Amino acid sequence: MSLMLAILTPFCGAPLTFWIARRSRKWGTFTALGVCLLAALCLAPMAPAIYGGAASIQYLSWIPAAGIDLTLRFDGLGLLFAQMILGIGALVIIYACYYLSEKDSLGRLYALLLLFMGAMLGVVLAENLIILLVFWELTSLASFMLIAYWRHDSEARRGAQLALVITGAGGMALLAGFVLLGQMAGSFELTTILLRGDAIRAADNYPLMLLLILLGAFTKSAQFPFHFWLPRAMAAPTPVSAYLHSATMVKAGVFLLARLFPVLSGTLFWSWWVGGIGLITLLLAAVIALFKHDLKGLLAYSTISHLGLIVALFGIGTPLAAVAGVFHLINHAIFKAGLFMSVGIIDHECGTRDMRRINGLWHSMPHTAILAMVATAAMAGVPLVNGFLSKEMFFAEAVSVGGQMRFGWFLPAIVTLAGIFAVAYSLRFIHDVFFNGEPVNLPKIPHEPPRFMKIPVEILVLLCLLIGIVPQYSVEPILDVAAGAVLQGPLPEHDLAIWHGFSPALFMSLIALVGGLLIYLGRQPLFALHTHLEGRLDGRKIFEALLAKILAGAAHITNFIDRSSLQQQVSLLVGATLCLGVAGMLPGPGVLTNLPALLPVDAVSLIMTLVLAAAALRATIGHRQRLTALILTGAVGLIMTLIFVKFSAPDLALTQLAVEVVTLILLLLALYFLPQKSPKESSPARRWRDGLLALLVGSGMSLLAFAVMTRRSTTISDYFIANSIGGGGGHNIVNVILVDFRGFDTLGEISVLAIAALGIFALMQNLKLKGLEQDAQGRPFDPDKYPLIMATFSRLLLPLALLVSVYIFLRGHNLPGGGFIAGLVTAIALILQYLTNGVVWTKKRLPAAQTHPLIVWGLLVAMLTGLGSWLFGRPFLTSAFGHWSLPLVGEFELASAMAFDLGVYLVVVGATLLILINLGLFRSSTAVREKKTWKS
Amino acid sequence: MITAHGPILPLILPLAVAILLLFLPRRAQRLTRMLSVAGSVVQVGLGLLLLRTVAEGTQLVYRLGDWPAPYGIMLVVDRLAAWLLLTSALLALCALIYALAGGDREGRYFHVLFQMQIFGISGAFVTGDLFNLFVFFEVLLISSYSLLLHGGGGPRTRAGLHYVILNLLGSAIFLLAAGLIYSSCGSLNFAHLAQLMAGLDDSQLALARTGGLLLLVVFALKAGIMPLHLWLPAAYSETSAPIAALFAIMTKIGLYAILRMSTLVFGSSAGSLADLYLPWLLPLALLTLLIGAAGALAAARLGRLAAYLIILSVGTLLTAFAGGTGGIAAGLYYLPHSTFAAASLFLCAGALRRCRPVIGDQLIADGDLPQPLIMGGTFFLAAMAISGLPPFSGFIAKLLILKALPQVLVWGMILTTALAAVIALARGGNQIFLAASGPMTLPRGGKSVVLVTSLWEVPAIAGLLILIFILTLAAGPALEFTQDTARQILEPANYIQAVLGGG
Amino acid sequence: MEILIALIIGLLSGCGVYLLLQARTFSVVLGLTLLSYGINLFLFATGRLVIGQPPVLSAVSSPADPLPQALVLTAIVIGFAMTAFAIMLSLRAQAELGNDHVDGEQP
Repeated sequence: MSLMLAILTPFCGAPLTFWIARRSRKWGTFTALGVCLLAALCLAPMAPAIYGGAASIQYLSWIPAAGIDLTLRFDGLGLLFAQMILGIGALVIIYACYYLSEKDSLGRLYALLLLFMGAMLGVVLAENLIILLVFWELTSLASFMLIAYWRHDSEARRGAQLALVITGAGGMALLAGFVLLGQMAGSFELTTILLRGDAIRAADNYPLMLLLILLGAFTKSAQFPFHFWLPRAMAAPTPVSAYLHSATMVKAGVFLLARLFPVLSGTLFWSWWVGGIGLITLLLAAVIALFKHDLKGLLAYSTISHLGLIVALFGIGTPLAAVAGVFHLINHAIFKAGLFMSVGIIDHECGTRDMRRINGLWHSMPHTAILAMVATAAMAGVPLVNGFLSKEMFFAEAVSVGGQMRFGWFLPAIVTLAGIFAVAYSLRFIHDVFFNGEPVNLPKIPHEPPRFMKIPVEILVLLCLLIGIVPQYSVEPILDVAAGAVLQGPLPEHDLAIWHGFSPALFMSLIALVGGLLIYLGRQPLFALHTHLEGRLDGRKIFEALLAKILAGAAHITNFIDRSSLQQQVSLLVGATLCLGVAGMLPGPGVLTNLPALLPVDAVSLIMTLVLAAAALRATIGHRQRLTALILTGAVGLIMTLIFVKFSAPDLALTQLAVEVVTLILLLLALYFLPQKSPKESSPARRWRDGLLALLVGSGMSLLAFAVMTRRSTTISDYFIANSIGGGGGHNIVNVILVDFRGFDTLGEISVLAIAALGIFALMQNLKLKGLEQDAQGRPFDPDKYPLIMATFSRLLLPLALLVSVYIFLRGHNLPGGGFIAGLVTAIALILQYLTNGVVWTKKRLPAAQTHPLIVWGLLVAMLTGLGSWLFGRPFLTSAFGHWSLPLVGEFELASAMAFDLGVYLVVVGATLLILINLGLFRSSTAVREKKTWKS
Repeated sequence: MITAHGPILPLILPLAVAILLLFLPRRAQRLTRMLSVAGSVVQVGLGLLLLRTVAEGTQLVYRLGDWPAPYGIMLVVDRLAAWLLLTSALLALCALIYALAGGDREGRYFHVLFQMQIFGISGAFVTGDLFNLFVFFEVLLISSYSLLLHGGGGPRTRAGLHYVILNLLGSAIFLLAAGLIYSSCGSLNFAHLAQLMAGLDDSQLALARTGGLLLLVVFALKAGIMPLHLWLPAAYSETSAPIAALFAIMTKIGLYAILRMSTLVFGSSAGSLADLYLPWLLPLALLTLLIGAAGALAAARLGRLAAYLIILSVGTLLTAFAGGTGGIAAGLYYLPHSTFAAASLFLCAGALRRCRPVIGDQLIADGDLPQPLIMGGTFFLAAMAISGLPPFSGFIAKLLILKALPQVLVWGMILTTALAAVIALARGGNQIFLAASGPMTLPRGGKSVVLVTSLWEVPAIAGLLILIFILTLAAGPALEFTQDTARQILEPANYIQAVLGGG
Repeated sequence: MEILIALIIGLLSGCGVYLLLQARTFSVVLGLTLLSYGINLFLFATGRLVIGQPPVLSAVSSPADPLPQALVLTAIVIGFAMTAFAIMLSLRAQAELGNDHVDGEQP
């Protein structure tokens, strides 16, 4: 639990610090420090045990089903990193408070730093690999925000984005690698994994898994060829660089190598990849560093090079090398943080970081100069400073390992060469900045910074010396437990003495020092060469070019596919339907096989079919003459009615007829506002394509229909036929199905009708349309809008029509008819009034029909009928019916289904009227509309 | 009540609310809003109750009209249906709250249509009858048409036109498929069909197979699976923010239908038609992933980016559904996550459009935003969530999907497309939030509008993000539930037993 | 007779699809109408063709399959609602975009 607390403390402290620092910088700083202290206190109680070599695991259940739990592990390695994270973090916080100018929000920096601190603690204290990965990604995100801290600087934004993309990609690879590793080990818990080393190294997927994990580690630790994001990240404020990009985050990759060292190392594959990449990075970065004029650029490349050194040590794979790796990891964190801070001071004091302009600061700021020199000495590996010891161990390992293999000599050679360049760039840093003549027109006059700004540097430099001079008493204990945790076994024999006698390593160090001096003295030609090669092989340029290509490609694909053309989308849908339809039918037997006896064809049907075919084809081919096409379509609809009549579907026939009439009126009204002709625009090729698609669909449908009609199968309908009277109380089975057996469908259906009407009403709001004044042939319309005879006639007709509809409604349950048809008939009768007498006239007399009450009541009645059955403890829509007798009327039946049907009736009437009237309104003079909208 | 009438309650409630709202006079704005929100809250409560009721593995079967199966229409609530009901209810509530910022006043009947939309969505989830599914598809479609067009405007109308016509064609195909299945099996009830499939003779088999595959086309259109996804980016990016957010569930309805069909009607008991969909899922899924990633990288506006990320999540879900029990469990856990995440991104885009009157939600820099911390923060979290970065539930889901489908191609696609999402979002956020500086560009002659996120927008977005947090913290129980769900639907015998009894 | 009906269904759907593929909203709406005729007829045909046996009891001995008829009835009404919406939408498009091209712009 305490470990969890240690991790959570910074996360919770971040907003608090932000809030306080907004009010007072000073108190904000104290809060931030307090948070670090608190986190340290959470860990402190366990530290002694860890120094004793123990490791404590804390379990917190999260997703046991997936083997992902919040298990945390506190061992030597974790302790070492926790100390670095919290210790250097605290120093950075103090430093930042002086570094950051008043106008920058200190609170934001602290909050982000603390968030990062928490994430980093999570990485080093994680026992479950997935938890480790979670925090790993969080560090990337925090680093993104921190690099982009000065968000108005486009360089900073680009740098942040670059870092995020590279490390993000690494994270994805790491995820894959961890899942593989987890599957090999059968668990994500380190404890288990560490025990399964041999099995894992033997697995077939070992190389793939290792590569994926290395991708993650190398991107994070800025190893070649992914190193180029780190220099770009230097756009971040210096405290951030000092913390993330030297001491902690970039070490996460190395940390991962150390964590999994016992599991993954010990194979040739490992040695070649890890060692090889490490050495390349070590040498390459060291060389480049020499030529950087920007102070932070120089430090960035030196960081890359030192990370390469550590990686190379782990790559060598011997226990002693691992120890050296951990040791150098410690030393580098200390002296590089110090160096970044002193560079920050110089930047802060001079207003620039260009070494060609900063010279001779020795006179203006000697104190800072001394601090910087000691730290630089450590970087160069000068005796009596900590860097020397680990580098010496490195040299020794290089020699001993190189001795065991063919061409082994090249290992010490490369190492020494890298050493030489390290010395050279260190020399350049010291000499250029603090001596080498006078400053060249600096923006500011440099002088010593405020006292407290140097304290963090002093502490770090002191550590450098302590470790460098009396390692046994300073670093030995923590190094031993950390190395022990890395090796998961006994420590190899090693002593941290400064003097090992005249070993090869000593000579290599000497060569490095002297060689470095020589190179620096003879630097001019080298610089000339470099300026000549400048930018020839810039990883970032290559990467950004690649990214640009990918983006362009993506845009190309998208624009190619997505043309926002309806015709394309329709044809795709039709095509897909055809494909799957064929895929469905092909495996089956031929449609035309083993046919039953077909119904005979009679002359009338044949003629009707021909008429229908003619009408449909004419409408299709001549679709550009819209009115004709519409009328022909209507004709087709009427023939449909006849088909339904012939094949014993009277209800369908009635419905089809009514709907046909309404639809026709609707489309006619609509056509009044649309162009009367379609332009001739689709090319012949296009027409052929459409025709082909249509042909395929048509023939497919015909085959399917034929197959359907010629195959017998038992259906559930027999039940309906059997229970229509007994259970539904009606003789008209179709109607009983609609209002009873499948009444719920009908409820949904009238909802659709209602919503459509309301939606159309909403659609018609404040819509300006201009109808045409003349017909297609250019003849003006008859001014006499409402011919008198027709008007009067229709008025007389109305009561009759209503009577008919009532009759149709009442008989619906037993004979063809019912709510739908009755509703449609009523609607048509009323619409007739509108057409013949005008909307205004009719609206005066039929206010109810104007807007939605009919629909609402209809829906309500239908729903309440359904709910009614709850009162009798029955499910929704359970019907009941009984036979009653009244004098005069005689025996008649009342069924709850009829109430439901009434709801249907009302909705149909209301919806149909609402739809048509809204359109009709446009035909009546716009003045009326204006008044109406004015009132509402 | 829940045990007696449970399955119908989440349908009746929104319908009743809608009818009630229609009785209110138009000026009763506040009352309308209160009723609508209250309805959605109760809907969430119902979802929770149902979830708890079916968590033990019982299927609630509701025989409408008290007719025995398979003759009447059956409503069935099992784990899957309850899970989706709850998801949609929660999403709807957040979207509705956001709409209170003013989106609901842009046109008539917003709340009525909204409730009807929920009616249709819930119906689609609980119905156990093929034709009834068609009816509810129509209900939710017709409401979605009106909601999509709510507020009007040229581009919106065009997007709506495409959406409507394409879906009308889709409905026709649905009817065709339903007819084929009825004619071959002689029934419409899912459970009954699942039972009958095994016993079909060759001639009927071909028809049933065709019907099934045509249904796949219809559902693929709804789900926005490539190449039938083209309506989606325009529709989602042109409509108003709350509606786009609500539509985040739409694609999931298509996916739900695919899952239901492939596990029940064409599930293990379907004899030679078992796993009819399986061979199609993975290829389509990977292509959809590709298209989604490309579109996200190419997007020039936040709304469009979010829309393509939805397509990406559709691809991810489809991939998961091809991965057996483990995959389906992971997918079902990913489903609400991706829904909420996408919705929150749409809402962010909406808030952005209001704050930047000229630039809108284009991915380019404009003036300093009001409350940069809130807006930037919410966007940052939403972006993390939808791109599946840890610690959010999307990350866990992706991880489990990888575990369920150990194939190099799948892993490559899932991870690279996720990276693509990260890149796209990083570039967008970079421009919109980090590069923002100076005063906001205002329409020429436009008086300085008050540029603050409204009282209702922040809580709505925050609500969605909190839901994601909860989903993450409760990952343990949630995953157990989805694993049980996967096992349940992959064992259709229980469902059939529950519906047909004895069967 | 089955062959005739099958041909009619194919013809109607074919014509419908052809019109659906046209570039003007009105043609598309006509196409949808024709297509829905075809589909409805198909759905009706799933009950097989029966002559003179309307599913009204007490009138006939072995009535035609009533379920497809009920389904088609529902389909017809829903189709009407959808057609109405589509045509109104095309009016709206005409008003907002100034033309009746399905993509809202004259090619």
